[in-house]
Amino acid sequence: MTFAVEAHAACGDALGPGTLVASSPRFDVAFRPDPAPIAVSKHFALDVVVCAKSGATATGLEVDAHMPAHRHGMNYRPTVAARGGGRYRAEGLLLHMPGAWEFRFDVRTSAGRERITLAREID
Amino acid sequence: MKRAIFVAGFVALAATAAFAQGVAFDAAERVRILAHGPWPLAWSPDPSNRVSGRPEAIALGERLFFDTRLSGNGLVSCAGCHRPKQHWTDGHARAIGHAEADRNTPSIANLRHSRWFGWDGAHDNLWSQSLRPLVDPREMNFSVAALAKVVRSEPAFNCRYRAAFGRAVPANDEQVAVDAAKAMAAFQESIVSGRTPFDDFRDALARSDATAMARYPAAAQRGLKLFVGRGQCSVCHSGALFTNGEFAEIGIGHFVRPGVVDPGRHEGIRKLKANPYNLLGRWNDDPARRTATGTRHVAAEHRNFGEFKVPGLRNVAETAPYMHDGSVATLRDAVRHYSELDPDRVHADGGTLLKPLKLAEGEIDDLVAFLRTLTEPAVPFARRELTEPRCD
Repeated sequence: MTFAVEAHAACGDALGPGTLVASSPRFDVAFRPDPAPIAVSKHFALDVVVCAKSGATATGLEVDAHMPAHRHGMNYRPTVAARGGGRYRAEGLLLHMPGAWEFRFDVRTSAGRERITLAREID
Repeated sequence: MKRAIFVAGFVALAATAAFAQGVAFDAAERVRILAHGPWPLAWSPDPSNRVSGRPEAIALGERLFFDTRLSGNGLVSCAGCHRPKQHWTDGHARAIGHAEADRNTPSIANLRHSRWFGWDGAHDNLWSQSLRPLVDPREMNFSVAALAKVVRSEPAFNCRYRAAFGRAVPANDEQVAVDAAKAMAAFQESIVSGRTPFDDFRDALARSDATAMARYPAAAQRGLKLFVGRGQCSVCHSGALFTNGEFAEIGIGHFVRPGVVDPGRHEGIRKLKANPYNLLGRWNDDPARRTATGTRHVAAEHRNFGEFKVPGLRNVAETAPYMHDGSVATLRDAVRHYSELDPDRVHADGGTLLKPLKLAEGEIDDLVAFLRTLTEPAVPFARRELTEPRCD
């Protein structure tokens, strides 16, 4: 548990205040909205850092967001650009309703892909 | 003096009584209510339009907007459907220009805050949207060449073009037409609805001013509580504009006439991407394309079929009839639609937001009372061209 907390603290430190972290057994995905905080129905980008645990290697990233309670996603398809060193920039997100959204990060690896999620309330 | 004291005392008693009848809002409801303001919103000129916000362009745009010569038969102007005295709508179910169109005339107030234009969002900027009805055979039935000719040959337009754009009217017809549309966009951006009783209540709530809050009718407070609560209206009708600026399918029929379907947003996205006047095209005056994020990233999905733009609700009580096809006659009928809607008619790929609200008659009354408080006090629109200096 201590190790996990330290990993969370380390991953995405460079992104600055307001950074969120989604975790799986093999990856931490730290991300920070730009601009922050996220406003309903306003476009924003995400600066993302993918931190591998225990030797896993990320080869790419896809980003999306859904409203599980409404069973729909965004009206926009983000593009993700790799910036080297596990860093990415996702552009073109917009959450068009207030409420519970789930950020979805699909981390690509040589063995396939792994989905890592984090739920956030947007108002 | 005794009379003054009596009146003051009466007002204080009335305020106390009204507050006693006031509705209690929990923390979540307060957050949602406060998100509907403040009003008016801050605004900065549109970078895709180099004359956005320029008084000279607004003056030219206003003249063009009201001029019937910009139509095939010389009888139709933009203002024929977007009538100032009717909150920039026309009262018809469907717009009537040279012929009846397929959709209801929306208000043009507050468009400067929009991301998408038209019921299907086929336009990502106001100047592109302004060209569409000019050349639509059923609306103004004009042409790019005819528009350019009028701007060149009519001294009042020609002179104002030079003032707005800082150059003589160019020889290229398409350039003149796009510039004229940008002037019309500048004019429409200047139309902003005024503050309303709701705005006063919202601001009073923000500063916890119980006395000011008590001036807001109890029925409207109850309706507001439904709007942000059980009704979930504010999920789509969000923010200070009372719209999220996006699209929804709400169970209105898809047929324009027998055998003809209006696909709404589904077709709107296709038109947007094919439009040479979109924000990714060469007519955007902003080299950085700063406002083109939506155009770059908008996703065409099957669920877009039958979706139409969520309209803003400011002045909604004054802009009947309702829905994209004008098929709902009154505000009460519009509320009743959400009370009684058939979920099987909502084509939303399994979405679960829209369910019949099953409102009691009194609750419908309260929602209507709330919506009526989104009406600005009547302030007649004053034409600038009647007061501005002559253009030499």
